[in-house]
Amino acid sequence: MLDSFIFVVMPYAALALMIFVTPYRYFSNRLTWTAYSTQFLERDKLFWGSVPWHFGILLVLLGHFAGVVCPHGMARLLANQQMLVLLESIGLAAGLLALLGSVMLLLRRINDGTLKRVTFCSDWVLLYLLIMQAATGIYIATFMRWGSVWYLHTAVPYFYSLLSFKPELGYVADFPLIFKLHSAGAFLILALLPFTKLVHLLFWPLAFLRDPPILYRWRSQRGNSRDF
Amino acid sequence: MNVRAQLVMVFNLDKCIGCHACSISCKNIWTDRKGAEYMWWNNVETKPGVGYPKNWENQDRFKGGWRRDDGKLKLRALGKGPTLLNMFFQPNMPKLDDYYEPFDFDYSNLYKAPPGSDQPVAEAISQISGKRMEEIKNGPNWDDDLSGSQIYAVQDVNLEDSTLVADYGRMFMQYLPRICNHCLNPACVASCPSRAIYKRGEDGVVLVDQEVCKGWRFCTSACPYKKVYFNWQSGKAEKCIFCFPRTESGQCNACAHSCVGRIRHVGVLLYDADRVEAALLKEDDQLVAAHRDVILDPHDPQVREAARKNGVSDQWLEAADKSPVYALVKEFAVALPLHPEFRTMPMAYYIPSLSPVISSGGDLHTLADHGTFPLLETMRAPISFLASLLSGGNQEIIAEVLRKQIALRLFKRAENLGQSIESSILKNAGLDEAGANKLYRLFTIAPYRERFIVPTQQREVQNPEERKGSSGFGILKKTRRAK
Ligand code: HEM
Ligand code: SF4
Ligand code: SF4
Repeated sequence: MLDSFIFVVMPYAALALMIFVTPYRYFSNRLTWTAYSTQFLERDKLFWGSVPWHFGILLVLLGHFAGVVCPHGMARLLANQQMLVLLESIGLAAGLLALLGSVMLLLRRINDGTLKRVTFCSDWVLLYLLIMQAATGIYIATFMRWGSVWYLHTAVPYFYSLLSFKPELGYVADFPLIFKLHSAGAFLILALLPFTKLVHLLFWPLAFLRDPPILYRWRSQRGNSRDF
Repeated sequence: MNVRAQLVMVFNLDKCIGCHACSISCKNIWTDRKGAEYMWWNNVETKPGVGYPKNWENQDRFKGGWRRDDGKLKLRALGKGPTLLNMFFQPNMPKLDDYYEPFDFDYSNLYKAPPGSDQPVAEAISQISGKRMEEIKNGPNWDDDLSGSQIYAVQDVNLEDSTLVADYGRMFMQYLPRICNHCLNPACVASCPSRAIYKRGEDGVVLVDQEVCKGWRFCTSACPYKKVYFNWQSGKAEKCIFCFPRTESGQCNACAHSCVGRIRHVGVLLYDADRVEAALLKEDDQLVAAHRDVILDPHDPQVREAARKNGVSDQWLEAADKSPVYALVKEFAVALPLHPEFRTMPMAYYIPSLSPVISSGGDLHTLADHGTFPLLETMRAPISFLASLLSGGNQEIIAEVLRKQIALRLFKRAENLGQSIESSILKNAGLDEAGANKLYRLFTIAPYRERFIVPTQQREVQNPEERKGSSGFGILKKTRRAK
């Protein structure tokens, strides 16, 4: 019962919200599409929170994605034991960075008075969730060793079964509770994404790398229907 | 030749009385909102002084503007690669304390306070935390009129000799009103990874598209004039919009309109967009000349032809013809760019201040031959100071402009008193009588329609069917028509 809630209901609900709400928000209220930076109000602690958090979490996510996108390549890579140890250590270090960063981000919001005015319910929910997520991830990495390998034979096929709309709980049903918590956390975060400032992670600008430095818009040209 | 038109403001610093009417009118129209309280799209600072935000001119600290590197212009702060790595934290962004914590006063207490033995007071309330502020520690013009000069004015990066501000016989001050310069090579535009900031082709106004801005804040660091602000409420960047809803309909900007000293001029300049980059690669002290070189003569038939080809309308060409800005910047060459060495090619120009000129004689103030003004070298405001501010350190350019202003005054003074002056005085300063009279008119009695020649945007030729209902503030949506 719990299993089917976590592994069937939650992922499809999250996916549906992502697919329908995100574009809706983009087209109806782009004015709220920002990371709501608080660096202007508090800068010193933010550095020690935001930088480790983002570099940590992006590396970790990269690892998670690599397994899904290219399971065979990863399997071949991890067959080399040294590589396995190396990648696992990098992953763990990145996870720890993310955990430390997110705890710092939380403490900062708790302790700094000037941030009260720009801290809302969603900020607390997100930070607690993300800390939970990082912590459970680190727990799994430390106490259920070689996750990068078994992930390829359990979670990855499960994801594929989800994508083909024939969810196979067999791959994941036997895992301990902590793994299920980690999965539930991930789906919850994805479900919240379109409603919170997390939408900022969907825009990692790259187009500007090619652009000429100065951008012009001409009112007399068609297509630029917005002036402001 | 790639001719484009630009709306430009000129400030006659000699006439600014530091009344802040400009700042207030701007604030009332555009930035009296949550998240924007601390923003002064127009601000007036006292020079010497640290300005707003504090020490904005110090690019060792804020890393704004461009630098030359191997015959190319590069942003001083972050190249494209480093931009990607600094998405999560802006190393050079000013913080609230560099501006000030915005405050309001509890005025209602003045009439709602219960009867008591003490006079009721209006306490300061922080506009960020909403809490009472024990002490106001900073403001947008905290060092106004040299107050705290030993702490603030001494830090002015343009002062060669900072002991000057402590020496009553030699100290001086003047005001510097600033808006966004709507630069030809805007660092804010170049630094934005979302490409939310753009320069309007038709009038050169630089705007932030609020729908595209994702709040990465590279612009706030990259602008060397610190004229892009971060709205702490909306999480997006905002800046001076050159009052485009007003200029589009032919009115001048609110700051210029309300200017008590009538120090401002607004008009059109035509420039050659293809020459901007090469001009900015010149040495610091050659930059003013390079600016002037990029600006084209609107009376030249070739320029007009090229402008027409680029879609500059007849109405705009006519405005460029009569432009008070062209007269001041290029024809008489008395208006200079603010810190041209930041290399954004700012399109706001300043006529350096001659005042204070009061001379008491004695060793500090040797008078020039004609006996009314002190020698240029002994002016109260050191030429080196003005040169650092307005000409990339080129003192000869400042001297030229001051000589023109002095000659003009001598000429008009003599005329007033029914005396005659040697014609060489005007000639040596590069003026003739007609020119002097035109300058005099612009500096003094020119009425609204001569100080401001602002052509309207011609919406009728800008795809009106597509644009109707598409401009203005706020969330803009069109009604869809049934098929
Ligand atoms: C795609 C690349 C990403 C970029 C460019 C980015 C950028 C930013 C920026 C600029 C901020 C504001 C920091 C400040 O206050 O100044 C921020 C905050 C935040 N980001 Fe990201 N981010 C990215 C990816 C992510 C990811 C993958 C996550 C987590 C799943 C994440 C979670 C957060 C959270 C929770 C905050 C708020 C921190 C706080 O409490 O202040 N970000 N991000
Ligand atoms: S002054 Fe600053 S904000 Fe204005 S256009 Fe120039 S670089 Fe951009
Ligand atoms: S309104 Fe005019 S005179 Fe007054 S401070 Fe502003 S620029 Fe100077």
